[in-house]
Amino acid sequence: MDAFTLLDTIVLIGYISLIAWIGSRFGKDQSNPEDYFLGGRKIPGWAIGLSVMATQASAITFIGAPGWGFEGGLERLVTFINVPLAMIVLIMVFVPVFHRAGIYSIYELLERRFGPATRTLSALLFLIARGLATGVVLYAPALVLAVVTGWSVNLTIIIMAVLAISYTVMGGISAVIWTDVIQMFVLWLGALLSIFFLITSLPGGWSDVFTFGAQSGMFNAIDLSLDPSVTYSLWAGLLGGFFLHVAYFGTDQSQIQRVLSSPSVLDAQRSLLIGGYLLIPQMLLFLFIGVILATYYQQHGLTPPDDLNELLPRYVVNAFPSGMAGLVIAGVFAAAMSSLDSALNSLSAVTVRDFYSRYIKRNASDAHYLKASRLATIFWGLYATLFAFFAGNLGPVIEAVNQIGSWFYGALLGTFLLAIFSHRSNARGAVTGLVTGMLAVWSVSSLLDVSWLYNNTIGVVVSVVVGYLVSLTTTAPRPDQLSDVVMEETAPDMQAALSARASNADAIGTEARLTRRRCIGLFAWFCIMLGMLALLQGWANG
Amino acid sequence: MDNRLTLTRHIDEDAAQQRLQRLGASAFEPAWVRLWAAGVGMPGGQPGAWLLSAQEMRRALLLVGEALPTCADQPEAGIHIESGAPPSPAEWHRRWLWERMATPRHWRIQVLETAPTPIWLPCWLGYRGGRQHRLMVISGLSGEPLSLLKPLVLTGLRQAYRDEQNTASREPREKAG
Repeated sequence: MDAFTLLDTIVLIGYISLIAWIGSRFGKDQSNPEDYFLGGRKIPGWAIGLSVMATQASAITFIGAPGWGFEGGLERLVTFINVPLAMIVLIMVFVPVFHRAGIYSIYELLERRFGPATRTLSALLFLIARGLATGVVLYAPALVLAVVTGWSVNLTIIIMAVLAISYTVMGGISAVIWTDVIQMFVLWLGALLSIFFLITSLPGGWSDVFTFGAQSGMFNAIDLSLDPSVTYSLWAGLLGGFFLHVAYFGTDQSQIQRVLSSPSVLDAQRSLLIGGYLLIPQMLLFLFIGVILATYYQQHGLTPPDDLNELLPRYVVNAFPSGMAGLVIAGVFAAAMSSLDSALNSLSAVTVRDFYSRYIKRNASDAHYLKASRLATIFWGLYATLFAFFAGNLGPVIEAVNQIGSWFYGALLGTFLLAIFSHRSNARGAVTGLVTGMLAVWSVSSLLDVSWLYNNTIGVVVSVVVGYLVSLTTTAPRPDQLSDVVMEETAPDMQAALSARASNADAIGTEARLTRRRCIGLFAWFCIMLGMLALLQGWANG
Repeated sequence: MDNRLTLTRHIDEDAAQQRLQRLGASAFEPAWVRLWAAGVGMPGGQPGAWLLSAQEMRRALLLVGEALPTCADQPEAGIHIESGAPPSPAEWHRRWLWERMATPRHWRIQVLETAPTPIWLPCWLGYRGGRQHRLMVISGLSGEPLSLLKPLVLTGLRQAYRDEQNTASREPREKAG
């Protein structure tokens, strides 16, 4: 068995230094918080889309997904099958509202709609959930990379943290996005090379993989069981996973902040379109690597490691030529940092925007807020690093940290849905709905045996229903509170007047048709993906 | 003769088109909104900025500068949207209070005791189609979205639409007569 060689180490250090240098270059022209948090709203949609993909890949895919594929084949793909549908909702509903509101933090919209209490509570919940998760984001890959490289876990944590904090502090969201774009290509290159080396090491190549996969039931991605306790049934994926991804991409500041940084609504929509089309193939690619690894282990009579997260990195170090292994492991390093940098930038945005400039220093200069934003990034970076140091001793706490997000995001999505769609709901209803939604998720997941994928669905339904009913007990919101989400032009006579004027005004573009076509395309993509999985499963089962 | 001042349009058609496209508009046209301008400054001094408002508006727009950026021409092409009487002195003071609350350093500055000046404010209107038609209003001076003006503009557009319909329904009758 080959080890992580000196050449690999040199390539690894060279690559991550290059990423850090590129990231730090973006801070030069930044003079205000809009530059720092939104890149001056000049970043093209395709780059944002790839950045969103890179964050996804780093957090779970490269390290976790091959292990899932090794263990359960393609069964977890249903978690992602809903992504095109979730993107349709985000493109049609959330992006136009958020982008036109001209906000840095999405929780600002909740203040305008429901008042300061709802904004502060939501922002605080985000800081708790994302802040704790950021420590895990740093610790989990460090654990795996330490095993592969032979470095200590703490050294690995420090290297990743120092680099990610440095370039995020200096370059802000621009550094986050452009470094992610580079990392995205390195990750995909690593995955494709892994497949190439794996397949060429099997005597029968692809036919061995398909034969082994079919015999082991690894291609059974669609489980039509109606039992809610079945974690990865098609219904859990469609109903539960749909709300999970709408909530994750639509109400988590670390995701939606990048969408806000695009120059126009169309660019913002385009960024989500990339994720809508590519997230399923990406997950399929990494799950398939797991299936190929399972075939490889079976043919070579090998024993898998106890921690299946180490499967792919270990294979890369063992099978790849010296130097190339270093590059792929560097990709994993950089990918882990790309999760960290997004989290740090969004935590800093919420801290400064929703707390510091809201409650502590209201009328400071742009330069002051820029400085505060950089200090907040350093604070959250240190916090995540400290949490990561102790994460190894916390054990079950890590699981609890991961669950906090699923308690919170569904209820928060419900609050945003109330804000946008219900013109009758008010502050009291929103806060009650938010708290009740979280309690409902916690109760159901503690007392009943229900797939965790349904957590967000429960949160959304409870927060919307309770929030609306409680709102009916108090006065309706004032018209100015509805100004971001409700337009006075919805009155029928106003619609007729606007239609007449618009038909006589000069045309600008074809945005409406484009958006509609994009959404239809995503729906067709969802159908194609589902159809292909059904065909594969039908073929595997004779 | 119309004694209203016309503010100079700084945002041209191309720039307006770009800005409105970013906001999701699919069609656009120029517009002029009749507002009232009241100077603000140190008591007894010259104006350092102007509040632009009308009785139909809840808040005022703030235009910084000692003099209004006017031009000699009358408003050119585009829909003209009228507003009612100027806000009363008490209403001007209340509107300035909102601005002062946002910037406490301006606390000593007051609305000057001079008669409000009628002006034509250049704007660009953007329209977005889809399931429901939407209106966007941006300033012809800075290109910033002016959501404050939307109620006033919507009222003006509705009135213009009704006038056109009344004219259209009268014409056939007149021809028949």
